[in-house]
Amino acid sequence: MSLFLHYLSMPYLLEGIELTLEVTALGLGGGLILGLILAGMQLSRFWLLAAIARAYTVIFRGTPLILQMVFAYDALPHIGIKLPAVLAAGLALACNEAPFIAEMLRAGVLGVDRGQVTAGQALGMTPRILMWRVIAPQAIRTMIPAFGNEAVSALKNSSLASVVAVQELTLRSTQLASSTFDFFSIFFASGLLYLVLTFAISIIQLFIEWLLDLDRAKGRQRQLADYLPWRRVDLTTKLELAAATARDPEPVQAEPADTPPLALTREERIRRAATITRNNIAVETKDLTKSYGAQKVLDGLDLTVRVGEVVALLGPSGSGKSTLLRCINHLENWDAGTVRVGGRRLGFDENGKRLSPRAIANERASVGVGMVFQQFNLFAHLSAKENIAGPLRWVHGMTRIDADRRATELLDRVGLSHRADALPRHLSGGQQQRVAIARALAPNPSVLLLDEPTSALDPELVNEVLEVIRRLAIDDGLTMIISTHQIRFADEVADRVAFLSGGTIIEEGPAHEVLSNPRNPLTARFLNVMEADKTPETVR
Amino acid sequence: MERRELPQAQRGTARATLLRKLALGASVALGLVAAAPLGAQAAAPAACAALQEKYPDWKGKTLVNAINPHTPGYETIDPKDPSKYIGFDIDLGEAIGECLGFKLTYKPVTFAALLTTLAAGQADIVISDIYATKERAKAADFITYSKVFDGVLVAKGNPKGINGINMSMCGTAAAENTGYVEVPLIQALIPECKKAGKAEPTIQLYDNNANCIQAILAGRADTYINDVNTVDSAVKAYPEKLEKAIAVTIPYSVGIAVPKDKPKFRDAVMAALIEVQKAGTHMALLKKHGLDVNNFKEPDILTAD
Repeated sequence: MSLFLHYLSMPYLLEGIELTLEVTALGLGGGLILGLILAGMQLSRFWLLAAIARAYTVIFRGTPLILQMVFAYDALPHIGIKLPAVLAAGLALACNEAPFIAEMLRAGVLGVDRGQVTAGQALGMTPRILMWRVIAPQAIRTMIPAFGNEAVSALKNSSLASVVAVQELTLRSTQLASSTFDFFSIFFASGLLYLVLTFAISIIQLFIEWLLDLDRAKGRQRQLADYLPWRRVDLTTKLELAAATARDPEPVQAEPADTPPLALTREERIRRAATITRNNIAVETKDLTKSYGAQKVLDGLDLTVRVGEVVALLGPSGSGKSTLLRCINHLENWDAGTVRVGGRRLGFDENGKRLSPRAIANERASVGVGMVFQQFNLFAHLSAKENIAGPLRWVHGMTRIDADRRATELLDRVGLSHRADALPRHLSGGQQQRVAIARALAPNPSVLLLDEPTSALDPELVNEVLEVIRRLAIDDGLTMIISTHQIRFADEVADRVAFLSGGTIIEEGPAHEVLSNPRNPLTARFLNVMEADKTPETVR
Repeated sequence: MERRELPQAQRGTARATLLRKLALGASVALGLVAAAPLGAQAAAPAACAALQEKYPDWKGKTLVNAINPHTPGYETIDPKDPSKYIGFDIDLGEAIGECLGFKLTYKPVTFAALLTTLAAGQADIVISDIYATKERAKAADFITYSKVFDGVLVAKGNPKGINGINMSMCGTAAAENTGYVEVPLIQALIPECKKAGKAEPTIQLYDNNANCIQAILAGRADTYINDVNTVDSAVKAYPEKLEKAIAVTIPYSVGIAVPKDKPKFRDAVMAALIEVQKAGTHMALLKKHGLDVNNFKEPDILTAD
């Protein structure tokens, strides 16, 4: 025991820790840099980069670290690269860690909800902003446990540097054992030193998890103790937290459901229609065609929407409604035909050349097409207010003060100013969709696209969202294209409905006329089915 | 990196330490080690000065000596001050360096990596109780300086009755270091044992002496055949558990390895070694480290061709 304590406190072994940490730090730091490059290459749209990264991963993940150490130390000098032992070991460890870290990064990036990425694109974020503001902050949070793992593994792997004469803890232990014959005392001591180091890494990992916990800042303070392995904290539902994040109880007057319905009278409708026909064209698609493989989704679709007009797209699933909306926002490419928004042809520069993803993002931001999704697609790591204010700063270059003012104003308009600081996961579906609408409205779009905005909502939450949309149409005169299954809503709000089937519009016309008196048998059948289904619109 | 020069920086102190008596603990294999005064170790100053004039390339330089510091008596870290290396090979190398005007730093590697490290240019010289064989001479040139006597280390009472690298090893397990010359000698017994209708000997390969010795202590191996002084030191460390069955002669010499592409350096080291021997330093160092003086050998050069 006394020998064990003697070796445990021996400066010679303790100094070995320094080298162990040096090699580990080089390995992890270098591995992270290389891993970032590798992950970037693998996620790249250029196949050659991806192939090179894949080949690297196969080689360095598939060969033992000890061989890589010896290679970096003994083989590289033959081609004129003679690294000091610590650097050679660090290089080998970095090269070996890189593919593992790259896969972690890739999993983290791919793990971020695709919908949020689409929403970011729709808001005009360039791939770079999207990565930096939406994907990375969420990916990093999910990657910390894996990264903690990797750090512990790198620390232990650094012991292999002993084969290339780095005087780290393991090499010092074996040399000491050879000269003293106190084999076991020495190895127990060095084992304990390794344990202390790996334990320290675990502590750092837990601390960072605590630091980046989105729920930490608000409501009930979560304590570090909650992260201890034997503690069971419900990390998902957090009803308690949801309640704590609400500053006040929901103000009654903010509930739009309480206001009288804003349906237009017949005369008002006619007057409105007359105004609209004199307006400019807001959106125009001509002969729009798109296929997924053999399946034609859009088949020469023509649609013209004038400024201030509300068009409801109806039709069975798979009829091309969503695809059409996604083309108008250029979230999808199309095979043939043109899309014009505000007179500008999308997807091509003045010389008729196809735009890069970055240029497309800038185009989206400048033509002003807002989009609301079925699944809300709020940025999960940002509060309601920041979901609105963030894109204004990042895409439109607003100052923080202006962006915050705009966000507050919009939250007030959708009746959610009391939930400004809540995270999306603490909001109900209807509240989330109202925030999403506010977010889409924030940059003052010329056209708002709504892709089945109420389909993912519980029946009792549908109306609060429909009410917000109704106000936008009637009070604000916003140009909107809504794909929906809410026939009654379409009837009340839309100026025109277009019925899609098989990627073309088979019938269109003034909303009330088409819905009450369909001419195409397919339209009639669809409307019948919808009626019989007693879908959520009957709640009203 | 400065770090690896650390032992070297402390060589100065080490040399000073040599002037006083070093009493290594009981755990140290060698027992008493009486340091000869430094004056007796230094080769004739005039002859060395002439050599430095003839071979000026290494004067004032610091060279890297790759060692496998797991061989008490020859090279280990100093248990009193683990930042230093001690042993016969260490002192001999320093004496040669002193004669030619260079200093040495040390790079501890596994035995099997000694010559690879040299060939990769990560070390300039290897003085680490390595036997000079024709096979190894393909990787490096050798200046031989010591005869080889091997000892057979066995568990106390020699339960398997091993008495050399011979038929008595059939059916036993031998612990050896990767790359040791004893390995092929034991392997050569396999067909003979078979022919005699006996079980084959098996070989367990380890990284260093300590692991080989542990293998016997743990009952995994029956014998460990290596340099007789190493075997003696193991017996001294575990007198209740180990014993030396017998000493055997092995047809090799111990050599200093130098890179193949530096014949001039090889010649310089050889010339310096001759001076060191002439001055009586070599013999004094054998005595100082408790090694058998019969190991003494006048230098020869061994190359692959």
